[in-house]
This record gives sequence, structure tokens and C-alpha cells, in this order.
Amino acid sequence: MKKSADAPHQHVMGLFRSEDQAAAAIRKLAQSPWKLRRVHSPVPSHKIAAALALKKSRVGLFTLAGGIIGFFSGFGLAIYASTQWHLIVGGKPVVALVPFVIVGFEFTILFAVFGNVLGFLTQTGLPTFKRLQHYDARCSGEHFGILAACRPEQHRELAEFFTRQGGEPRIFDAPSPTRGQAP
Amino acid sequence: MPQSAYSKIDRTILDTLKPAGRSYWIGVGLLGLGVLVGAACWTYQLLVGIGVGGQNNPVGWGTYLINFVFWVGIAHSGTLISAILHLFRAGWRNPIARAAETMTVFAVCTAGLFPFIHLGRAWMVYFMLPVPNQRNLWPNFQSPLMFDVVAISTYLTVSVMFWYTGMLPDLAIIRDRAAGMRKKIFTVLSLGWTGAHEEWRHYSRAYLFFAALATPLVISVHSVVSWDFALGIAPGWHTTIFAPYFVAGAIHSGLAMVLTLLIPLRSMFKLKEIITLRVLENIAKTIIFTGLIVGFAYGTEFFIAWYSHNSVETTVFAWRATGHYSVEFWIMVICNTTIPLLFFFRKVRTHIIPLFVISVLINVGMWFERFVIIITSVARDFIPHAWGLYAPTLVEFGIMLGTFCLFFFAFALFVKHLPSVSMTEMKEVTAP
Repeated sequence: MKKSADAPHQHVMGLFRSEDQAAAAIRKLAQSPWKLRRVHSPVPSHKIAAALALKKSRVGLFTLAGGIIGFFSGFGLAIYASTQWHLIVGGKPVVALVPFVIVGFEFTILFAVFGNVLGFLTQTGLPTFKRLQHYDARCSGEHFGILAACRPEQHRELAEFFTRQGGEPRIFDAPSPTRGQAP
Repeated sequence: MPQSAYSKIDRTILDTLKPAGRSYWIGVGLLGLGVLVGAACWTYQLLVGIGVGGQNNPVGWGTYLINFVFWVGIAHSGTLISAILHLFRAGWRNPIARAAETMTVFAVCTAGLFPFIHLGRAWMVYFMLPVPNQRNLWPNFQSPLMFDVVAISTYLTVSVMFWYTGMLPDLAIIRDRAAGMRKKIFTVLSLGWTGAHEEWRHYSRAYLFFAALATPLVISVHSVVSWDFALGIAPGWHTTIFAPYFVAGAIHSGLAMVLTLLIPLRSMFKLKEIITLRVLENIAKTIIFTGLIVGFAYGTEFFIAWYSHNSVETTVFAWRATGHYSVEFWIMVICNTTIPLLFFFRKVRTHIIPLFVISVLINVGMWFERFVIIITSVARDFIPHAWGLYAPTLVEFGIMLGTFCLFFFAFALFVKHLPSVSMTEMKEVTAP
């Protein structure tokens, strides 16, 4: 068996019906030798976010960047198109900034939303189907699932830990019985 | 084990996705037939020419533009409910946000058809796109019609993205309870969403920004639509009140359409415990508010026409109320400003039948508002010898029927195949 950091891990998920119990389990897990992998929940939870001490999302930076690009793109496009068609219309100058504010504004919103979506996808890593590997379908319904990793021989301990916290353990990819593990 | 509130929400909403009965498919079939009627009329117009419509000189914009403005207006309350009320943390919007957002998407798509239809030679649509064409002409971005192209395209794109992103957690719920090919489809549609804490962290932030960006957008879009008229110098159009007047009217009609759609929906799919009477009552209260703004705008138009001592304005407004289109004018006034006042009575706004009837009447009134605005001003322009009247032709009625059917057809298909109520947002306001 490898002793390095990439030694084989066993994944155990604790499924909780109560948000408070899940948040408490996360805090206790942080003090344990086991590694917290992910927390799945059916709704966004402030209590769980606080227990995980999550940092603020950086999606806003993408949104801001998109908005700035859009602002200049909108004005740029309107000015470029006008200078290609050098006609005075309605007594307005060829490069009439006041009407171009509307184009600039709409492009600002459009590109900010593009940036927002791009930020959301890059930050979450979606689309990805890898997370479905250690996932319990009940987490999209009414359970809060805490996925933790341990060395294969410790999975019973980890499962008991979740049980003590009030959760229902689910053991993923159990090693084969020939290696002395539970089936 | 007793069923939790969360699983009850899931079960109730997932039940709406069960295979539909015969009556549903008959209804969808009839709507599809209506769509075909509209498509046939449009094809006829493409083959024969735009002259098969009733547009003429001076009334160059007929039902095509009326319907365009009407559907853009309908689209607005979806964003009001999903974005503006989200920013205000109004929990009552959660059961209806998805249906309203869907209504927005389909209404903008329907509205977007009318500029194509009105073009006559629909294949020339690329003239509106910012690409150099064979004449080396670019679109004129000083024109309010180009503002419209930019604004409506932006609104459609943003609405679709907002709608789809908001639906990801619900698509994952369906995936987790599906089997076979359906599971595969929803696995792809949900992009592999698992509700992991990292996903929620960025999702919540992105959703907030969506709402924050959609709010000024929605106000700008109908303002831009109003400038299609206000930037023209026709009497009754050339006024600074148009932008807020149009925005208020748009929200007024959109809220009414939300009621028109939700009342049958909650009854057909047994969603009474989710879309409660309180939610419908809150929409009715908001309609009172928007109806008062619309009424104030109608009054202001007349006041300014009188106060300005501009004889052309005064004549046009007097003609609106007493002339050839006075019936349409009074339908507009009564349906949009007087009838919604019945919602001041608690008994009216807490009973399904009056709620539904009034919502339909407001829709009718708002359609006639666009008729009155678009037709009457140019029908009685500055020069008496250029005056003229307008009446829609059968082809226009056919296309109108087709697009109304298209909207309800798309909505009917949606409610049976995707969750019409956001399970996730319902859970957010419910204890597990």
C-alpha cells in the first residue's frame, strides 16, 4: 500500500436531514483526521457556508470585466458603424454620443451577463459529471450530504462518526473483502 | 417515516411532469392548429406581399407593431417577479418566479417574431444586424428602431440565461429521480449539478448579479420600445412621459398575464398548497398599484395636451376619446384603470373567478392601449388631408391568432416537461 498523499482513499458520506446537525458535523469533521471533500445540500445554506468558512465568490469580477468590455464594445460598434456610413441623419453629428449611450448601456448589461455566466461556469467547474461519482441522489431532495475521505481501513470509524452526529452514513467504493474490508 | 416538507414539495411538483392525459394533448393539439393557421397566413403574406395587411398611409404600423409592444410588455413582469422581487427578498414570489420567467422567455420570442412579420420581406432581416452587407451599409445606431434591436436581443439573451441558470438545481432533482433515457437527458441538461457547497457559493452570487443586471435592463427595454414612438414627432407620441408610462403598463399587463396563466395551472396540477391564494392576492395588490400609475399616465397625457395649448395635441386627444376609435379608447381606460380597482375589495382579490376574469380583462385592455397609441396618433396627424383610418385584415387576425396560440402552446409544453414551480426556491422559504 502506498504511503504517499495519493494513497487510496475511501469515501463516506454522512446524510443529514437537519441543517444544524450537518453544520455541527462539518465543524467536528474539521477537527478529525478525516478529509472533508464536499458538502451537498438541496438549498444554499448560510449555516453550512459559515461552518465551511467559505470565502466570497469571485464571480463578480467576471461580471465586472464583462460589463466593462460591453460598455466599450457598444460605444465602439455604434461609432464604427456611424463612421462607415458618413451621413448626417436627423441633424445629429455622425458620432452622436447621446443616442449611443443606449447601445453602450445594453451592451454593458449583455456582456456583464456573459461574464457572469462565464464566471459561474469556470468557478463551479460546470459542466462536469465527475462529482456524480460520489454523490447520493437524496442530496437534491431533503438531505444534506457531507462527503469525507479516509484511509480504507478507517471507513467504519468514519461511518460511526457520522452516525454519532445524527447522520446516516453511506460508504462509497468499498474496497474488496480480500483486502480485509467490509463488503 | 413522516414525509418532510422538502419531499412534499418535490413530490407535488414532480407530479406535474407525469405523462399527460388526453384532454391535455387535445388542448395542445388545438393550440398547435392555431399556430399552423398563423404560419399559413404569414406564408401567404410572404408570397403575396405586405399589402395583404391593413397597414396604409398614414397608419403604417398595424397589429404587427401592436402585438410586438403587447408581448414585450407581457415579458416584463417575469423579470419584475424573478429579479426585482428577489432583490427585495419578497418570499411570496418564489412559487411563481419560474412560471413568470418562462412567460418572459416565450413572450419575448413571440414579440421577436413581429418585426420579421412586419418587414414583409423577412429575409432582409439581416439589414438590422451590425454586419456589412452588399451595399456596404451599416445599421444606423441613432435610430430608435436599432435601439430596439439591441435592447430586445439583449433582453431575450439575458432572460434565457437567467431562466436556465435558475433551473439547474431543479433539473438535477429531476435527474436524480429519473431513469433510462430521461435520466441521461436531464444529466446533460443539469450540467452535472450536485448542489455541492462550491456550486451553491458561486450560484448564489451569480443569481444575485443576474437579478441586479436584469432590473435596469427590464426598465431600459420598455423605455426603448416607447422611444420607437416618442422620438417620432407625431402628436400623442412625442412626449417625455412615454418611458415610465410604458414600463408601468408593461408590468401591469405582465402581472395580469401571470394571473391568467397561474390560475388554471394551480387548478390543473393541484398546486393550491404551493401557489396559495395569498400569492395571488399579492399579485392583485401589485396590479392595483400599477393600474393607478397607468391611470395617472392616461390623465397626464390629457392634462398636458390641454395645458400645452397645442391645438394639434388637444385635437388628437379629444379625437381619441370621442372619435372613430373611441370604443377602443374606453375599453382601454375601463379595463386598465377602473376594473383593477375592484381589487381594493378583499372579497374580489381572494376569489379565483374574479381574479381570473379581471386578469383577462386587463390583458384585453392593455392590447387596446397599444392599439390606441399606435393607430390614433398617425391616423390624425398634423395635416387633415393626410388623415386616414385603419382596420386589421383577416391575414393579420390569422397571424395574431397564430402567435397567441404559439405562446400558450409553448407554455403548455413547458409545464408538462419542465418544473413550472422552482422546487429549490420553494425549499428556501420552507422549513425542512
